[in-house]
Amino acid sequence: MKMVSRIAFANMKYHKSKNILTGVAIFLTTLLLFLIPTIGANLIDGQFAMVNELYPTWHALYRNVDSETASKLAAHHDIERSGLRSDAGVMAVSDAAIALMYLDEEGFEMYKMELTEGKLPEQENEIVVSEGILQELGQTGEIGDTIKIPYQIYRDSGLDFSEEREFVISGFVTDGESSDQERTYSAFISKAFLEAEVPREQILYRFLFQVSDAESATTDEIEARIEGVAEQFGIAENNVRINTEYLGANYVDPSIVPIMACIMLIIVFAGIITIYSIYYVSMGERIQEFGKLKAIGATRRQLHRIVLGEGFAVALFAVPAGLLVGTVASRYVFMGLLDLYGGDNIMVTTMTQLLKEGRFALYYWWIYVLAIGVTLITVYLSLLRPMQIAAKVPEIEAMRYRADQEDEGKHSYEMQRIAARSVGKCSRNRRGYQDITIDRLAKIYLLGNRKKSLITICSVAMTGIFLMVVATVLACANPEESANNSVLGQYEITPIVEYSNKEHPERAWNKLQQNNPLTEELKAQLETVEGVTHVESFSEIHVTSEVFGGDKEGILGVPERFWDVLENGIVKGSVTYEELKAGDTVIIDENLLYWYPEIAIGDTLHVTVEDGEQSYEKELEVAAIGSYPIGFTNYSYLIMVKEGVDGLGSCNLNYYYHVFASENYDPEVERQLEEVIASSELLQMRSWQESYETWKSGMAMTNGGCYAFLGILSVICVMNLINTMMNSVQVRRKEIGMMQAIGMSEHQLIRLLELEGLIYTAGALLLSLGVGSALGYPVFLWAKKNGIFSISQYHYPVTAAVLISVVLLLIQLVLAFALGRSVRKESLIDRVRFSE
Amino acid sequence: MSTIVEIKDLVKYYQAGESIVKAVDHTSLQIERGKFTAIVGRSGSGKSTLLHLMGGLDRPDSGKVLIEDNDIYAWKGDRLAAFRRKKIGFIFQDFNLIPSLNVWENVVLPLGLDGRKVKEAEVMDILERIGLADKKNAMPNTLSGGQKQRTAIARALAAAPAIILADEPTGNLDSRTELEVMSLLKNCVKEFGQTLVMITHDETIAQMADVVIVIEDGKVVSQS
Repeated sequence: MKMVSRIAFANMKYHKSKNILTGVAIFLTTLLLFLIPTIGANLIDGQFAMVNELYPTWHALYRNVDSETASKLAAHHDIERSGLRSDAGVMAVSDAAIALMYLDEEGFEMYKMELTEGKLPEQENEIVVSEGILQELGQTGEIGDTIKIPYQIYRDSGLDFSEEREFVISGFVTDGESSDQERTYSAFISKAFLEAEVPREQILYRFLFQVSDAESATTDEIEARIEGVAEQFGIAENNVRINTEYLGANYVDPSIVPIMACIMLIIVFAGIITIYSIYYVSMGERIQEFGKLKAIGATRRQLHRIVLGEGFAVALFAVPAGLLVGTVASRYVFMGLLDLYGGDNIMVTTMTQLLKEGRFALYYWWIYVLAIGVTLITVYLSLLRPMQIAAKVPEIEAMRYRADQEDEGKHSYEMQRIAARSVGKCSRNRRGYQDITIDRLAKIYLLGNRKKSLITICSVAMTGIFLMVVATVLACANPEESANNSVLGQYEITPIVEYSNKEHPERAWNKLQQNNPLTEELKAQLETVEGVTHVESFSEIHVTSEVFGGDKEGILGVPERFWDVLENGIVKGSVTYEELKAGDTVIIDENLLYWYPEIAIGDTLHVTVEDGEQSYEKELEVAAIGSYPIGFTNYSYLIMVKEGVDGLGSCNLNYYYHVFASENYDPEVERQLEEVIASSELLQMRSWQESYETWKSGMAMTNGGCYAFLGILSVICVMNLINTMMNSVQVRRKEIGMMQAIGMSEHQLIRLLELEGLIYTAGALLLSLGVGSALGYPVFLWAKKNGIFSISQYHYPVTAAVLISVVLLLIQLVLAFALGRSVRKESLIDRVRFSE
Repeated sequence: MSTIVEIKDLVKYYQAGESIVKAVDHTSLQIERGKFTAIVGRSGSGKSTLLHLMGGLDRPDSGKVLIEDNDIYAWKGDRLAAFRRKKIGFIFQDFNLIPSLNVWENVVLPLGLDGRKVKEAEVMDILERIGLADKKNAMPNTLSGGQKQRTAIARALAAAPAIILADEPTGNLDSRTELEVMSLLKNCVKEFGQTLVMITHDETIAQMADVVIVIEDGKVVSQS
């Protein structure tokens, strides 16, 4: 072994306590650098595997493509593989939705459909069905059997009258879980049937395709090519549907790289600060040692190598330990996350199943390499400064120097600077306190070591701030609140509105309002259900306008009881209840501006109001722009008060009955409400609970991942505090011994350490909570604007703030006690004599 | 004269590798109140260990140390610490000042730890006597060796302990400063009516003492 390596190794053993601390920091850094990308990659790979299992394989589809365009598209050089789908109509059965769909062979494969038996339909009277469909039809059958199917065909931009004919079953498909739950199915008919039933010029396809040479492309590049082809063929933007989930799962998404890099940088930064502060604090103790080495001929380069060698020797033990624990822990954490958020969540259940089948890996060789590489770089960066300090130490002065010795007066300025930096002694005179108390001792020590104290406070606060910011977003991402935003009240009852269905022309809103099932009697009946507190009626009338490109828009009528919500939601302009009641003025939802950015306050909208069988022209003035939850507006972007909307029509314009109940979910209330609305075929109901469940399962995985990451990051945060306090005792062993020799009791020592820790904790908490809270709000606004978790209301992360405060306070109290007690292990006289 | 310190059959052995060092070996002695007692002996004779045991800084393997008839090793932890700060003042060879405290704060530290109110005039009087009145705000790293040792003496005197234990207090000082510090220490102790027990291997200093105890291999070999 070379001499330099031998010294480095000997140093490592000699400075055992300091190197144990460093080792723990390196171990934690390695653990984090391994754990976070591994769990991140597990989640991403698991999600990708789940997407590949559940999602279709087409990269994109173009809607409303005619046969000729489809042929040309298929020949385009950017398109490698394509298929066709056309929705011919629906089966006319009540309560279930069964599509009659044409899919060619490629389309069938791209949708991942598989025949359990039989073949795809070729003849006009052939059909592929599922057991679920046969059940809904109330029939049975095998391959080759004939079944009778009532159906409606899409013709002339709507569903035509119901017909019935016999089909021969050519094949069977299985029903998915969601098919059974939601009673939504697809039956597959032949092209011959499609062409026989739908006039040729009305047949429109969904052109499903995969882009050529996609293997080496990023998702952005693939999307650009999809949009490029659409542009060449004049396909409108809203007729392009990109399968982003599938693309994300199978091709490189460039947006993931900076996110992962950012997370890794945070860990590296936290690791550097922790390891650096350990070396930084202990450097004062080592100055004499380096001076001796220089005096006997060690070059700067050799000193560099000694410091580096010592650091890497510690890493030699700590890194494998971190990888080993990380390997075991990542599996438990990931499996724990899946268990925690499994339940009814089909995505998580699928992921768990795929993991059991070994369809995606839990460990990745490149993460091991990455963790080792980045940890060693982190160790190197942390040692840079100590290496510089070691190399700068002047020989003779350093030999005289002892970290705990007071006669720095004899040393050069450079020497004093190094010493002061290391142990925090810098001033020549200081106006002191008349009396010395334990509180003042703590204050003097911390102020005398300002830089070290600040480094500790800032490094602990850095992770604290990050914790608070992420916790703010997570606190705002509350499934309960998202459900509140999605559904007003606990239940929402609406008429089934359907346009262009010849079989059900009465379902068009202008017809339905003439025979509206949302009557006052129904309302009264709903209010009699036990558990229902009240029912609020919102009305709606439809208008068309050139401003909206001829599309229909609804004007929502909000009852007076919700005037406060309406008024408080105004973000620009102003309007009174009376003005809205007059029916000539509207508030527009700010989301409308996304589609029609030219609309401004003060504009007059020329609209055609659809009032039952009649329609008339009207001018509406835009008085204000508002921002409202979806559950409040239900995507109606023009808003008035109910009296105003009701005045625009001559029929019953009640469109929503928002049912408010004493409890968010009560199965008995739901059952009774369902019974009440069953009196009309034209009513449907959705509940707060459904929305809550959807949000809950959607947020669960992300929240779990975030909290796991935050938890691990907190360990680094706490590690910094522990390290600093341990160091402050280690470095001051003699000083503390001296104070004990002249009468400091153990209680006083613990009190001193507690106070020092409290000041660190208070500083770190002030910064974490102060800056974290201040930064959390703009991040919340950003998340709100970008629709992350559908958050709408700011919530201060009280739990996180309390948790951070309590954990830090507890840790520092326990630590102060433990350190105070541990000092006893070494005899007082050994500490007084101590000079390492 | 009454006895202030009584040591009875005191034993302290250390393990050094495979051999046992008998630092204090069944030693008994008495120290009289108000006297300046010097303990002399060669390096490794056990004099420092004896002094540390006398001050309650270490724990003996057996035997007793009675200070003002109190068996100090019958106490532990905080009680012993409280006794130490009331009754014993220490002066060390390497000063052992607290580097983050200035001269004044170092001097009043034992009073603060004992919860006593600082009587400014009294402390100022001590500082004036030892010639550090103008350095009361100075930090230890700006003082000379002599000034540091004077600060350490002032600290020992400030709490007005009954006994001052000094472990070669002039060992790190040049000969001129050594004499200055010794005469200052002796005068102060006399003036404040305190008992001084000092370790030294310097014959000249030993001659200044009222009583000289010679230690060899952990045993008292003579007392005069």
